[in-house]
Amino acid sequence: MKFSLDWLDDFVDVEAAGGVDGVRRLLDRAGIPIESVERRAEDAILEAEITPNRPDAMGHRGLAREIAAMAGRPMREFAARYAEPEGSGDTTEQLTSIVIQVPHLCRRFGARLVLGTEGRPATEIVRRRLAAVGAKPISAAVDATNYALWDTGQPLHAFDFDRLAGGLLIVRRARRGERLVTLDGVERALESSDIVVADAERPVSLAGIMGGLDTAVTDATRNVLLEAAWWDPATVRRTARRLGLHTDASHRFERGADIDAIPGALNLAARLLLEAAGGAVAPGLLDAQGKLFRIRRTALRLSRLRLLSGDERIGLDFAEEALVRLGFSTERKGRRISVSIPLFRADVRREDDLVEEVLRVWGYDRLPSRLPASASAGSVQEPLREVEDRLSDAAAAAGLFETVNYPFVDRTADEELWADWLRLTESAPEPLPLANPLDASRRHLRATLLPGLLDAAARNLRRGASGVGLFEVGRSFGAAGQSDHPESYESRRFAFALAGERRSHWSFPEKLRPADFFDARGVVERLLEPWVAPKDLRWKPARVAALTEGAGALVRTAAGELLGLAGLVSGAERERRGLAVPVFAGEILVGAIPSGAKPFHFRELSTMPAITADLSLTHPMDLTWEELSAFVVGRNLAHLESFHCLDRYEGPGVEGGKIKTTIRLTFRAVDRTLEQEKVNSEVRRLAAELSALPGVAFGA
Amino acid sequence: MASDPIQALLGSFREEIGRGVSTRGEFERLKGRFLGREKGLVPELFARLKTLPPGERGAFGARANAAKTEIEEAVRRLGAELERREAASRDRAAAVDVTLPGRRPRRGGLHPITVVRRRIEDIFLRMGYSIADGPELENDFHNFEALNFPPEHPARDAQDTLLVDRPAASPLLLRTHTSPVQIREMRKHGAPLRLIVPGRVYRKDEVDATHSPVFHQVEGLVVDHGISMADLKGTIAAFLEALFGKGTKTRFIPTFFPFVEPGVDVSMTCIFCRGDGCPKCKGSGWIEIMGAGMVHPRVLQGVAIDPEEYTGFAFGLGIDRVALLKYGFPDLRLLFEGDERFLAQFAGEA
Ligand SMILES: [Zn+2]
Repeated sequence: MKFSLDWLDDFVDVEAAGGVDGVRRLLDRAGIPIESVERRAEDAILEAEITPNRPDAMGHRGLAREIAAMAGRPMREFAARYAEPEGSGDTTEQLTSIVIQVPHLCRRFGARLVLGTEGRPATEIVRRRLAAVGAKPISAAVDATNYALWDTGQPLHAFDFDRLAGGLLIVRRARRGERLVTLDGVERALESSDIVVADAERPVSLAGIMGGLDTAVTDATRNVLLEAAWWDPATVRRTARRLGLHTDASHRFERGADIDAIPGALNLAARLLLEAAGGAVAPGLLDAQGKLFRIRRTALRLSRLRLLSGDERIGLDFAEEALVRLGFSTERKGRRISVSIPLFRADVRREDDLVEEVLRVWGYDRLPSRLPASASAGSVQEPLREVEDRLSDAAAAAGLFETVNYPFVDRTADEELWADWLRLTESAPEPLPLANPLDASRRHLRATLLPGLLDAAARNLRRGASGVGLFEVGRSFGAAGQSDHPESYESRRFAFALAGERRSHWSFPEKLRPADFFDARGVVERLLEPWVAPKDLRWKPARVAALTEGAGALVRTAAGELLGLAGLVSGAERERRGLAVPVFAGEILVGAIPSGAKPFHFRELSTMPAITADLSLTHPMDLTWEELSAFVVGRNLAHLESFHCLDRYEGPGVEGGKIKTTIRLTFRAVDRTLEQEKVNSEVRRLAAELSALPGVAFGA
Repeated sequence: MASDPIQALLGSFREEIGRGVSTRGEFERLKGRFLGREKGLVPELFARLKTLPPGERGAFGARANAAKTEIEEAVRRLGAELERREAASRDRAAAVDVTLPGRRPRRGGLHPITVVRRRIEDIFLRMGYSIADGPELENDFHNFEALNFPPEHPARDAQDTLLVDRPAASPLLLRTHTSPVQIREMRKHGAPLRLIVPGRVYRKDEVDATHSPVFHQVEGLVVDHGISMADLKGTIAAFLEALFGKGTKTRFIPTFFPFVEPGVDVSMTCIFCRGDGCPKCKGSGWIEIMGAGMVHPRVLQGVAIDPEEYTGFAFGLGIDRVALLKYGFPDLRLLFEGDERFLAQFAGEA
């Protein structure tokens, strides 16, 4: 919002306040930062940032009050500026009348008549000052209202009095179906929640927002009705937002105008109009009252002032002087001050607000600085955050980079092929849409992190990366929540994607191996290891269209709780995401991880030597490693310490549809050296029992 | 006198050893010739002892022993020397060009937002703060109403909200700040309380170099007996010094947030010019970094904490902005593109 230093000087001696730099410093301290200063020959234009709680500072008089208070200087005498102009002829009351039908929403409505004006421009000083604050000079009448607005902060409107049917004004709710063409030439359909100013026949102004075109002043206007009123902030805001209108008037009314400024603003505007365009002011101000405001009184205790500031040096003498400078009335009562709050400070309601007013003048830089005494029992972390941090650390250590992706998607374009996964995680069938999306083509909240992550991988590959490994920790959103528990719509997720080559080194550039399913599964195993040992994870083939059939799996705990999925992204999904190379990806449900403390006990180490034995068998492909190892465990071989898959082979020498698996078995006794023959006989027993399974054979 | 066999042996040994040995084979041959158990010249000398008359045996034996000691000692030294030479030659074969790059295990890295978030968390954990968390999908009650934003209040304009299209008693939305977690934590635990809330927040902002609909904040909240603006000043000064380095000064300027009273904008010494004034700080020497204030008594009353008994302060800052300032990258969009070339730059920071 722009202010003219020259205009401010009407109210406060800006030279004495330190000129433009001094004013800037004072306003900074007041909490009204000056964004920029434009110096002109006779003036300086200040661009001030005014927070929505300070409509009182949205006019030169109000801003000058802040400068004066911060500088500790008196305001200039300005009563004459707002004095009633000398009138002649019939009184305003004889010429027109006002009816307020909504006294809570229009608490005051003032009007003045200037009759017999000529279509002339405003005076030079009015036009110059309006130009300085960025308001375009239009005509003597319109400029008079704008000048009064920028002077007092009170918006006004000028009607062509002769175009008001019945010569009267009614403040009422709009009727459904009523229409009004506003000053900008747009026809507005009104609703009963809107407040209008109407004449005897029709709405002539959208209250507090914009006047009607038909009754606006023109060069031909001779008789002008000037209007200034107080409108209910919430009502103005609702209507302005619905109609997409934001005007200088609505900006101030939404934030709360100064009801006491109405007569002065009308007097000033009438005098300016008279000076520029001649004519005569009708005697008397028509001042219709709605529901009256009560003057609020609040006590400021010395104890509260010192408690909140933490400064024992501040006293009530200082507080009282500061409040008076800011326009409050005060009365000392022992260790407290009884304060009357002026109506232009609607933002000040309670004692703590008064504390702020005093401290603004005192200066925050003068307050002491210390650390709060510690009374807390020490810090705790929200438990899932710790899980997320450990997952991230493990993923970074495994060679993946963390990303942050936007959660805005289109359910069909982005998540269609993940539908089975969404169903398993209860994020289907319906997506959760935004009512006002940034981009209408991405109006749903993501139900899985994977499509966004795959898009990020594709961007890297398009930019020339030969391989990429990414992960994200974030939230997905499902429609199956309870509306009174917003958190129930959320699911905390970890997702990763691996594509292309792993990075190379000068010493082994040829030995790169493309990522495969076991890299993806390995990532999941390593990540979950702090809470679930890899041997306690259960992997089952997944049927999700976005994963390649036979190369994607769901992973669960031994108890059957779903933890996530991982696998080779299918050709169809890769095509959607623009991925030319194979990509492995997975997602973990962070909240499903059994993250409670896991008891851990040291196991004694044997110093006895181990004996290993390898066993190769050919078996049908559909005998899984999980089944095979369960079978081995079930044989209870004596002194079997561990076993693992040493090799898998299919190809020449192995019958079609079959695979050769080599198992390495390690035997060890805790207390003695095992005899080779004992081990041999256990291995023979295992082989014999395995041979009984259908399709299993030994040897080549 | 016939030549003395001991002198002759020593002479021949000294001659050979004077020529030196260059291979292990030569060494073994030398050692075998003189000290070999079967046909070695030294054992032969002792065998001759028996053939001597008893009267000469004592003197001959003593001299033979001295010669044996000399030869053994010399052979040992020669062996050790050979050993050293062999080791040195083995080492020479292991030599490499040490200026070639190392074979580092492949590693990834944390996102700069995470790096900054954890720095901030560490600072507050050391000051005894807990870390809390709350939902990103919130309702109007927690995000606005309980924080003293009345319905239809222009203060809501500053936080253009993404609304969730789902009927609910209190309208659902994506939280516009981490402050709703204040309400949740105070309702859950009451006072006293000392916590921070890092998290992701959302606003309906078009994407450009300085705006993003998704960004990150850290909220702080302390509620206790006798908490004052002075405590807030000290806490923020200590925090910003820990985050941006010694000598970082802070300044409070009054401002308005509905949920604090008084409310302040916190500026700190410009990190680009250290306060001298530069284009980044518009010549002021200060840059705005966070918002803060004393918890509004209405907010406390709303969560059943008596504002006469307890007072508190709250603060909030943008993690993305801190990352932008700290690392000096020009465009917020880099944070959300997932470009490994960008992300890899922070791998050493975690
Ligand atoms: Zn600077």
